[in-house]
Amino acid sequence: MALISEAAKAPPATDAVRQPTAWQGWRYRAKVASREPTTLIGLLTALLFTYLIAVPIVSIVLDAVRVQFGHERRLGKDIGDLTTYYLDRVFMSPVSVDLFWRPLFNTLTVAIGAILLSLVIGGILAWLISRTDMFGRRWFATALIVPYMLPAWTFALAWTTLFKNRTVGGQPGWFEAMGLTPPDWVAYGRFPITIILALHYTPFVLLLFGSALRRFDSQLEDSARILGARRYQVALKIILPLMRPALLSSMVLIFAKCLGEFGVPYVLGLPVKFEVLSTSLFRSIASRQTGVAGVVAASIMIIGIITLMIDARLVREARRFVTVGSKGSMNRQNRLGNMRLAATVFAAAIFVLSVGLPLMTLFLSTVMKMPARFTLDNFTLDYWIGTNLNTVALQTGVLLSPDLWSAAKNTLTIVGLASLTSGILGLLVGYVVIRTPVRALSVYLRQVTFLPYLVPGIAFAAAYLSLFAVPRGPMPALYGTVTILVLALIADQMPYASRAGISAMTQLGKEPEEAAQIAGAGWFRRMISIVIPIQKGSLVTGVLLPFISGIKGLSLFVILAVPSTDVLTTYSLRLVDYHYTQAANAVVLMIAAIAYLGTLAAQKLTKTNLAEGLGS
Amino acid sequence: MPTINLNGAQKNYGVNSANAVSDLDLEIRDGEFMCLLGPSGCGKTTTLRMIAGLENLSGGEIRIGERVVDSVQEGVFVPPEKREMGLVFQSYALWPHMTIERNTDFGLRLRKLPKAEREARVEQVMQALDIAKYRDRYPSQLSGGQQQRVALARMLAVNPGVLLLDEPLSNLDARLRLEMRAELKRIHKEFKTTIVFVTHDQWEAMTLATTIAVMNNGTLQQMGTPNEIYDRPANRFVAEFVGSPPINILELDTSDMTDIAREAAVFLSARHPSLKGIGAIGIRPEAIGYTADKAQIPPGSFGGEMIVTGVLPTGGSWILELRSDNNTLFLTTSVLPRVEPGSKTHFYAETSALHVFDKTGMRISEADALLRAAAIN
Repeated sequence: MALISEAAKAPPATDAVRQPTAWQGWRYRAKVASREPTTLIGLLTALLFTYLIAVPIVSIVLDAVRVQFGHERRLGKDIGDLTTYYLDRVFMSPVSVDLFWRPLFNTLTVAIGAILLSLVIGGILAWLISRTDMFGRRWFATALIVPYMLPAWTFALAWTTLFKNRTVGGQPGWFEAMGLTPPDWVAYGRFPITIILALHYTPFVLLLFGSALRRFDSQLEDSARILGARRYQVALKIILPLMRPALLSSMVLIFAKCLGEFGVPYVLGLPVKFEVLSTSLFRSIASRQTGVAGVVAASIMIIGIITLMIDARLVREARRFVTVGSKGSMNRQNRLGNMRLAATVFAAAIFVLSVGLPLMTLFLSTVMKMPARFTLDNFTLDYWIGTNLNTVALQTGVLLSPDLWSAAKNTLTIVGLASLTSGILGLLVGYVVIRTPVRALSVYLRQVTFLPYLVPGIAFAAAYLSLFAVPRGPMPALYGTVTILVLALIADQMPYASRAGISAMTQLGKEPEEAAQIAGAGWFRRMISIVIPIQKGSLVTGVLLPFISGIKGLSLFVILAVPSTDVLTTYSLRLVDYHYTQAANAVVLMIAAIAYLGTLAAQKLTKTNLAEGLGS
Repeated sequence: MPTINLNGAQKNYGVNSANAVSDLDLEIRDGEFMCLLGPSGCGKTTTLRMIAGLENLSGGEIRIGERVVDSVQEGVFVPPEKREMGLVFQSYALWPHMTIERNTDFGLRLRKLPKAEREARVEQVMQALDIAKYRDRYPSQLSGGQQQRVALARMLAVNPGVLLLDEPLSNLDARLRLEMRAELKRIHKEFKTTIVFVTHDQWEAMTLATTIAVMNNGTLQQMGTPNEIYDRPANRFVAEFVGSPPINILELDTSDMTDIAREAAVFLSARHPSLKGIGAIGIRPEAIGYTADKAQIPPGSFGGEMIVTGVLPTGGSWILELRSDNNTLFLTTSVLPRVEPGSKTHFYAETSALHVFDKTGMRISEADALLRAAAIN
């Protein structure tokens, strides 16, 4: 007889009774979920973002396959019927080369060139800054990030100021003025665009690669050295393979950024008809080719989505190589010896090229009557504060022009309102995503607010145009209003705002709030006494960072703004178009100053590293 | 506070995931100091959080006295803020933007007590926990031990009927941990609170608890006083989890039985032919004796001969590692061992010290009486 053991109780007879039915489980979960406003807020924000983000994107994709106004007769169908006409036109027709394939080729080559160049420069700089005894490493670590704080087309304008040749009218560039006519390939098109994008995105490599280098556990390196590996072997076999995810990730991010870049190719590409996808899209929209614009925008989106999916994959892969050592994080430096000075000169040269020279050029151009004539009588403050100037329009210095101040006011109200809203919404989204017991809601909110990140700004703006240009349902036509700009900007900034909110809430953890709950505090009480006071700092960042990126942003505005809703960026672009070079440069300098100071302030306020605000 | 009852409480995170807690019945009586003990991931913290209301159930119910506070079937859920409990988190979760005094005062403010009463209560609790001198500091300015006391004070201030503690001592160094254990025992006496304490540290459980509930894989393995848990583990998991160095387990049912296990099988079947279906035998290290002289082995003991392969001093006592060809035994002794590693020695254990488990790992409790009787004869 086998003995019956004491703990082997018969299973409880009530087991079947205890297992709740599906209905009971659902009722219980609904009860838990409805007890707090978290889920309600979640549902409302989800609805809002569906309208602001998902619907416009769907709308532009639909535009691509439906007959647009003006084509009914030619296609023999009614407006809104399904058609492949626009797909054919963009991908197959004789004009497809101009509409899509050449811009695509140009985009790809420019992006790849910029990536390679910035990888070489950024990689060397990152290594010098984080692993060697180069002079002034700390100063360079901040100074070399500055190009990223400035709008990319600042450099484009500086470039034209220097290299503009007789191909284009208006005031000549400095070299032309000195009698050295730069060839077209230097002045416009692929070459300058590639160089400028490379310099602009080098900080990406510097930040991502540099931080990976700094966090690298030197014990891994030491182990190899102890086993007899030489320096170059360690670099090749240990460090480089482990750095690969960081390198690849910065490559992919730069690619995604280049894809949506509008200002630089617009300023430098137009004179020689060098088109990239974003300028091609702009041209389609400007010429009211809505269907074609839909196809191009959707293509840009798809390329963007693929790129970022690759990045997500890389990030996941990078997680396999977590090499953060608590003890061994890198503090050892390679001695450069006699190369020390040379390395410092190299870093300084990059700084001069990517910050000093462009800003200096822009500034000088605004105080000189004739380009490249450095005599005292050639200097003037007329372009800033002059009056009764001998010009067709803009007869005062730019600072005295009412247009500037109305653009500045528009910028402040539009960007300010949008940043404030998206900052607050971001924190709310973060809260709901982390806290709601309804998992589907959390996943949906996280994804829908991230969607604009996959869509380059110019395509997103096109989507807004497609949806809100005409009245739909209760929504009046919004084109030309401040509202459409604010809404588009909010949606465009949600990825950063919600990511900031989510990461802030994750960092906070649920325990401080749970402790308050246990102590007897209800939802509103917890919000006011615990969550908001603790998240003050990240709320400020969540407003400030979108504000900065909004101030220097161009691609959204260039499509959605009209003269009455001009912001600083579109105002300066308009000045470029009318060849008021000095005034345009002055406005760009102001934008750069605001963006730079704002970034510094954000960094000071939150004591965070810029690397975290990288995407904005 | 009336008795807290968990009836068939269940928790899974997501439809397809394994239960974090399955079908848990637990009774926590007033004034008890109960430890939930188990390895990490066994569901003990989830259980604690379910009691607090911070985790929703997937099935079953929780009652406080006669009042149902949480039930899937009945669709009842009383939120944490209305359960009048106290919870000290593993990370302490002090509010970083409030001073120590404000942290302690928070719960009282919510209860809208008059100012004088609040101040008196805060003062009393801060004095009792010796944190009054830090009243104007912020949590980040305090050490781990001090923060831990603030976390306790914050909960004690509102005088909760039940105090739930989630591994509150795990972030402290050894000395502080000892002090805080004494402190907790004192608080349990002084405030007469029911305490539910989660830990993976068996010593903490043994020294503090009046009742220990051992959990594994989301199910309750055994509930009892510390002595019951140690002396009569209900199954092999409990036997192996509690005790350091761990209990020696001899597998009996494998085809390639070790020689020691074979001896054990022969020993048991010779003396207790009625015992069948034995899967394994456990012997605590301190229950094993050793001697070079075979004559000194007490009669009726189970034993054999092995080689000493290691003598490990632990300060005040020693662990001996004994090996035969394919088996290892550990024994502890408080007498300086005079054996050389490599020498042969006899080991033995009294019959009453054997823990007998069936093939599913459950304790064969009928064996206890038989073995005890054998020891007396």
